[in-house]
Amino acid sequence: MGIGTGEISILDALIISAVGIVIVFAVLVILMGIIMLMGLIADKSPAIAAKLPKLPKFSFGKKKEKATESVGADADAEPAPGTCGELLLVRTEERDAAMIMAIVADTLGTPLNELRFKSIKRVDGQESPTVEKAEE
Amino acid sequence: MNWGETFEFLWKSTGFANMTWGNVAMIAIACFFLFLGIKKKFEPLLLVGIAFGMLISNLPVDGITSTPLYHPEWWTVQEVDYVNVLQHGGLIDILYIGVKTSVYPCLIFLGVGAMTDFEPMLSNPKSLILGAAAQFGIYVAFFLAVCFGFTGPEAASIGIVGGADGPTAIWLTKSLAPHLLAAIAIAAYSYMALIPVIQPPLMKLMTTKKERAIVMKPTRKVTKSEKILFPIVVIIATCLFLPSVAPLLGCLMLGNLLKESGVTARLSDTAQNAMMNIVTILLSVSVGATAHFSTFLTAETLKIVALGLLAFVFATIGGLAIGKLLCWLSKGKINPLIGSAGVSAVPMAARVSNTMGLKERPGNYLLMHAMGPNVAGVIGSAVAAGFLMAVFS
Repeated sequence: MGIGTGEISILDALIISAVGIVIVFAVLVILMGIIMLMGLIADKSPAIAAKLPKLPKFSFGKKKEKATESVGADADAEPAPGTCGELLLVRTEERDAAMIMAIVADTLGTPLNELRFKSIKRVDGQESPTVEKAEE
Repeated sequence: MNWGETFEFLWKSTGFANMTWGNVAMIAIACFFLFLGIKKKFEPLLLVGIAFGMLISNLPVDGITSTPLYHPEWWTVQEVDYVNVLQHGGLIDILYIGVKTSVYPCLIFLGVGAMTDFEPMLSNPKSLILGAAAQFGIYVAFFLAVCFGFTGPEAASIGIVGGADGPTAIWLTKSLAPHLLAAIAIAAYSYMALIPVIQPPLMKLMTTKKERAIVMKPTRKVTKSEKILFPIVVIIATCLFLPSVAPLLGCLMLGNLLKESGVTARLSDTAQNAMMNIVTILLSVSVGATAHFSTFLTAETLKIVALGLLAFVFATIGGLAIGKLLCWLSKGKINPLIGSAGVSAVPMAARVSNTMGLKERPGNYLLMHAMGPNVAGVIGSAVAAGFLMAVFS
């Protein structure tokens, strides 16, 4: 449009405001559509991958044996990615664990650095993981 | 040697002899802002630098034995004489080049991008609607500013305060209304610090007890690929619509890509910490120094402060109104409190939504849900600024 640096009338201001808010909505709604599409593709991609014929996997030496041994192990005892120091995460995402620790600290009214979390474990049948031990 | 003349010359070169009421008033205001930043912890990382910049640029000088640190008259002209600035400018003049050329706001956005996790927004894309709704305050304030007699570019710069985004406000104002930069930056950062005071009464007024107690379901998990693709897609999509927003959003998305790609950890760390801290110091001091008494102590500053407050109020109202609409459309699955987090003061506005949800129902943690509209608001305010820049530049 390029109105420039001069004074504008109230009617012009009203029109610019209306057009401006419409443009903000339009751009963000388009972004919303793109994000939804990306999410849809991401959700469908494992199903598509499962339908594709599986290629044989190459393995080297002892790694294969180790992999077969671990299948028989107790799934609950297997630490999830993000397990750090003495904190054991069992079937729990790092993000969920961070959120749980923040909630526990807030509920107890104790700073996070004064709490010790030993393990966070997702219990079967529940949507959210449970904290097994938290000590001050 | 004439001792009388020597002492007279020495006296005339001191700040006491050159002090005016404007200097005294600005030094007092700077000390008040330092008090707010240090004692009351009002956005201290920025307000302390802004107040100190304000203080040093308003200390009186004689112009013979010492030159001013900042020359406001050099920066309010259409074409800045950078050769003159580099040859004869004071320290703040040199630092201010980074503001005038948009380098500092864009680098701040690079750091913000590297620090921001867009996952809450990606897992709930409806957040973007709330992020857009909260930009309502920008346009209401713009309209009111025109009614108050400001010119179009000045009104646009005042309106952007409602975006609750300091770098965006500075980026737009330095181009459209550089003479108002200090007042607008101070209003933006002060009101951002006051969000926990401004928003809760409006949230209570606009929502029912039942709505505030709504517990939202956990959102879906976002894949790594989506997180990496997001900044690339956003920059292509938004810049095709509004090329003027490319510097700001480009830096925001580059910062986020550095974080999410997983292969540039060192760069992401530098953007989040060292670079962010250095640029914050340079930006805050140089913006504060623009608050020279010749341009700051005017009735316009008071009008900007009042309009800035209205911008925040209407931004919150806009977010809450659309939040209520989404709550109704989703049959009570969306807590309208997250709408106010569309005001892009990250993460302050999201924390306020969370606190209000907890007050109504213990255990009702809305933080992750409110972070979606919160980060969407950053994109929304940048788009709004890009639109105003395209209209008035």
